Formats: sequence, C-alpha cells, structure tokens
Amino acid sequence: MEHEGMVHALSEIRRVLAPEGVLIDLRPFSDEWRIEVVSARETVETGHFTPSPIGVADDEAASQAMADVEARGWFKREDETYFPFHYVWDTASEMEKWIDEEWEGVATLSEDAKYATRSAWALGDADSQVRVKVRMLITRWNVVKE
Amino acid sequence: MTFYKDPEQNETKTLHKFTDIARKRVLEIGCGEGRLTWRYAAASHSTIGLDPDKDAVRVATYDRPSALVNKVHFANAQAQYIPFHKETFDIAILAWSL
Repeated sequence: MEHEGMVHALSEIRRVLAPEGVLIDLRPFSDEWRIEVVSARETVETGHFTPSPIGVADDEAASQAMADVEARGWFKREDETYFPFHYVWDTASEMEKWIDEEWEGVATLSEDAKYATRSAWALGDADSQVRVKVRMLITRWNVVKE
Repeated sequence: MTFYKDPEQNETKTLHKFTDIARKRVLEIGCGEGRLTWRYAAASHSTIGLDPDKDAVRVATYDRPSALVNKVHFANAQAQYIPFHKETFDIAILAWSL
C-alpha cells in the first residue's frame, strides 16, 4: 500500500471507530530475522535473513503514515512494545521449502546460512527444530474525535 | 510438512495485554484466513474480518466454528473503503496489514 493509501485507510478506520475507540497496529519488522536451531537443551543461532528493500520501504512508509495521522490529531499513541513471533519447522529442509514457496521477495537467505542451519539441525539433539524469529511491533492508539 | 506459527502464542498474549476485547465490537483489517481472529473473537461482542483476498475470506468463512456463526463475519474489502457506517466499532485491529 502506498503512503497516501495508508493515510486514507487510517482515516477510514477513524471514521468507523466509536469515540473512545482503540486501534491496535500489529506488524512484523523487516529487519534481520534470526534463524535458530532449538532443542530442550540448547539454542544455536545459524544465520539471518536479509530483508528485501521493498519490505524495509514498507516498514518506513507504515511508520510515516502513523506519524502523519498522529500529527493531524486523529490518533494518540498510548502504548507500544516489541515481541518475538516464531515460525517453527521440524527440519531444516522443510524451512527451505517454505521460504522458497512463501517468502520469495520478502526476505532472502544466503547459502552459508542454509548450510549452517542444515548442519546444526543434523548434528543437534533428536528434538531439534528450526525456527525463524521475527520481531513484531504492537501499538495501541486511542482515536481522537472532535 | 510440520510447521507452526507462533507456538508460544506471543501474539495473542500481547494482544490481550494491550486491549480488553471482552464484549467489544471488533473490526480486523487484513484477517487473511482467520489465523488471529480465532484467537480472540469468542470473547468479543462481534467481530468483522476484512481482507482484499477473496480466497482467504472464503477459507476463513469455511473454517468458522458453528458456535461463532452469529458473532463472526468476514467480507472481501480493502482498508481504504470500509463498508460500514461511522462509529460502528470499539476496536480496530490492523493485522499485519499497514
């Protein structure tokens, strides 16, 4: 969504919210998503994704749109925090298949990181899984109406 | 393929910490196939999920539990044109969609 589209969408959300209404903005950040091989005994970081320029630009546009509507007095920021969101696979090859099919253009993974992940998983404990840790931002906004 | 999204339910826990959904009229923008919707909608007064992807809306509607048929509804729409009257909702959730 373009910046103007985002601002228009936020004006629509403000319109349909009741006075005292709340907007929750929940979104992932396209920064370096870490890959880990995890078991009950240990967690081994094996690399990270390289964010796509489009994803980074989208993050910036979304943050700018929220800043714009706050400056216009449409919403007031009340609280925000980051939290981890995990994608988990039982094997390294399942993760690779997923990113090939689902994350093309979203983020890329180097051959070195793939190899490190496969190796750590193969040498890991029997309960080892592969996970990608995405950084999520949640923000609560109170709607402001005249 | 064995695959899990947010097995610790950090997203749901954080959402509930940030807002009290109980008995509220909720609009979720970018509901997709309802992955997040099913985590909170039962507590709401009513929930409307919007998504521009018709196939995702179809899946969400198909997956809707019978107990929520009167409470949760989905529609194919974009955030720029929300097909509801003003001041219809208490909470709007932008779910991975801004």
